[in-house]
Amino acid sequence: MKKINSIYIVLVSIVLIASTKATAQISKAEIRATGLTCSMCSNAINKQLKSLPEVVDVETDLNTNTFTVKLKEDNTLSPKVFKDRVEKAGFFIGTLILTTKLETIKQSTYVLINNVSNSSKEVKFQVMDKGYVTEREFKKLLKSLKNLATYASNNEDDYHIKIIN
Amino acid sequence: MRKVIILIIVFTFQKNYSQELFVVTDPASNVPANSLAVNIMQSAFKEKFEPGYNYHFMPEVTYGINKNLMIRGSAFISTRSDALYAEGGGFMVKYRFLSEDDLNSHFRMAAFGRYSFNRADIHQEQIEILGHNTGFETGIIATKLIHKLAISSSLSFEKALDNKPNYPFPSSFGNNATNYTLSFGKLMYPKKYTSFKQTNINLMVEFVGQTINENGKSYVDVVPAIQFIFNSQARLDLAYRQELISSMLRSAPNGFYFNLYYTFFDLKN
Repeated sequence: MKKINSIYIVLVSIVLIASTKATAQISKAEIRATGLTCSMCSNAINKQLKSLPEVVDVETDLNTNTFTVKLKEDNTLSPKVFKDRVEKAGFFIGTLILTTKLETIKQSTYVLINNVSNSSKEVKFQVMDKGYVTEREFKKLLKSLKNLATYASNNEDDYHIKIIN
Repeated sequence: MRKVIILIIVFTFQKNYSQELFVVTDPASNVPANSLAVNIMQSAFKEKFEPGYNYHFMPEVTYGINKNLMIRGSAFISTRSDALYAEGGGFMVKYRFLSEDDLNSHFRMAAFGRYSFNRADIHQEQIEILGHNTGFETGIIATKLIHKLAISSSLSFEKALDNKPNYPFPSSFGNNATNYTLSFGKLMYPKKYTSFKQTNINLMVEFVGQTINENGKSYVDVVPAIQFIFNSQARLDLAYRQELISSMLRSAPNGFYFNLYYTFFDLKN
């Protein structure tokens, strides 16, 4: 029985390690929320973000409704988590800027819409998909990215990103 | 009336932050998902045909089922017929079906339905299922937040039924009505946020009207209010309701509201 248990633990660990490697490893998320101007509304978002076990700290700028979320190392969060949390509070994402390890964006789930050479270990990028930018911005992007078939399809599992640094 | 118009103009052109957590009307926005809001509503209205005030106590709990749907349960207790008589209760559902959000602005629309029961006597032509009549109400709400001013309007249909077991709805009254509201809200303080702990002060003006569909009898009231928000979580409202025009029988149109409101955020965690 003990042997089975330890094999099981090893197997689970391997799966876990493999899966964390395959996902984002987001270390920081900067979220600007839209549709609100009151501190009670900001607090609703603040509490939604803080309830994520992966969150270490949330810093809020109430005047711009910007939330800087610091995350635990090697977490498996995807950008969608932040969208869901903000929308649960009753609002939307205006901009979402994520900081991750460079290898993260080499995964197939990320589609680069600009080409910036980056030599540092960490990369900062903005998610440009529907639901991660304002409605107005999305309409503009639909036009400018009309040659990119994956953008208009609004697939929830791929993210179109713009490298910032 | 002129003062009211001036007040609205002043509100509209002041550039500041705003709020839409109105006192007597609901905005198109809901409480956050998985959050519970408790509201202790109290009111004292001056009796028109007898001396003194009647006191109404209406505790409410509101829960956000998901980002678009919320439910609310209310209880109606009053001193109108007896010392703290439990007159009835109600249930409300609100669904947000449109959201167009931009930085610091939004336009939202919601539909709502409400059912209440009440066993108190029927003493006025005004139909009010919040604490007076048994009946239902259904309608739509549109809320716009623009240049940091919140403007909200609603249109609804309200029908009164018999206040069972003892008080059937009088056949001489019209038993259904069209309700319309227009609310303005503005955050006056702070000018600049520094923390969640800061107390916010909001000023609001709300217009609430009703027309009995059968005979066209109507009223329009104005409700100016001041609201304090503590620690971005608790709310205190002080408001006064004044009849502006009325062609129907109302037993106590003018009076005060005193609300205490507390939000328990994200209960599932």
